[in-house]
Amino acid sequence: MPSQLFFTSFLNHLMAGPVDRAMELLHVPPAYPAAPINNTVAMGFLVFLLLLAYFVAVRLTLSVETPGPVQHIAEMTHEFVSNSGEQIIGHGYERFTNYLTVLLIYILACNLIGLLMPWFESPTENVTAPMGFALVTFVYYHYHGIRANGVGYIKQFLGPVWWLYPLLFPIEIISHLARIMSLTVRLYANIFAGDLLILAFFSLIPVGIPVLFIGLHFGVDIIQAYVFFLLASIYLSMAVAHDH
Amino acid sequence: MYNTMRVMKYFFMTMAAILLASPAFAQAGGDGISQWAPIGAGIGMGIAAGFCGVGQGLATGSAAEALARNPGARPGIFTFLILGLAFIESLTLFTFVIVFLYVK
Repeated sequence: MPSQLFFTSFLNHLMAGPVDRAMELLHVPPAYPAAPINNTVAMGFLVFLLLLAYFVAVRLTLSVETPGPVQHIAEMTHEFVSNSGEQIIGHGYERFTNYLTVLLIYILACNLIGLLMPWFESPTENVTAPMGFALVTFVYYHYHGIRANGVGYIKQFLGPVWWLYPLLFPIEIISHLARIMSLTVRLYANIFAGDLLILAFFSLIPVGIPVLFIGLHFGVDIIQAYVFFLLASIYLSMAVAHDH
Repeated sequence: MYNTMRVMKYFFMTMAAILLASPAFAQAGGDGISQWAPIGAGIGMGIAAGFCGVGQGLATGSAAEALARNPGARPGIFTFLILGLAFIESLTLFTFVIVFLYVK
């Protein structure tokens, strides 16, 4: 039985049975039937619930005359995403604002929840969660590339002249697939290495010094969420760009 | 310059010989992983982190210079700086992940 955080054991206590049966149906029997939900999924779910509560709070306290503090944060986020989107994607960025906002906020919350260390951990500390973000982003930008360019989208995978097509097509396919890997590994390894660093310094000097590294980790969390968001918007802008 | 190149050449030849010799040790140790793996992990991580430092230093230095010349261009420079640093850093992190996967 793997070690479980408080929220994980709570979730397992609540719905181990249904999850077990669902996993049996998908022909992936859980390794530990008493605890089929691991820490990553539980923490991701917790972040999802927190963000849901945040958005509900924003919606309930929405007002033109007396905007509350929650609304201010939401407006700042929206303004930031819109400015970045306009700068990077340009004309027609409004369509992608919702996805990019959710991506930014969710990854940021996932990273930051790991700072409350003994009781919570980052879902992004495990390779599966960043892989999920990267896969969704991959599907999303290809979908919008095809929607914006139609059949002509395949031109982006081919070179400038016809006799380079057979050479460049596999290279482009591989480079697009490598984007998934690089997005995944960048986020996962940063968060994981940061946590490992804090733990290592806790075991060396348990007082005072690790706080420095927690501060560093806080910065890394924000930068990595921003980088993921930035790369997603750059890939989107490249996918929806029209060749003239 | 020529001398330095020669020293470098011998250094890399020695390194190659050492690296080629390591599978022989691995055969003796059994269990799939050589007993020298932690040392290799340390060397690899050190090289990766060192050159990552050089790259990030160059990038940040150029960004600072650009900012000093044209303070008005701050947002654009900042975005590209963060992006470049993330790309440089990710190469080191690939090394870290490989090290972590293969050396327990």
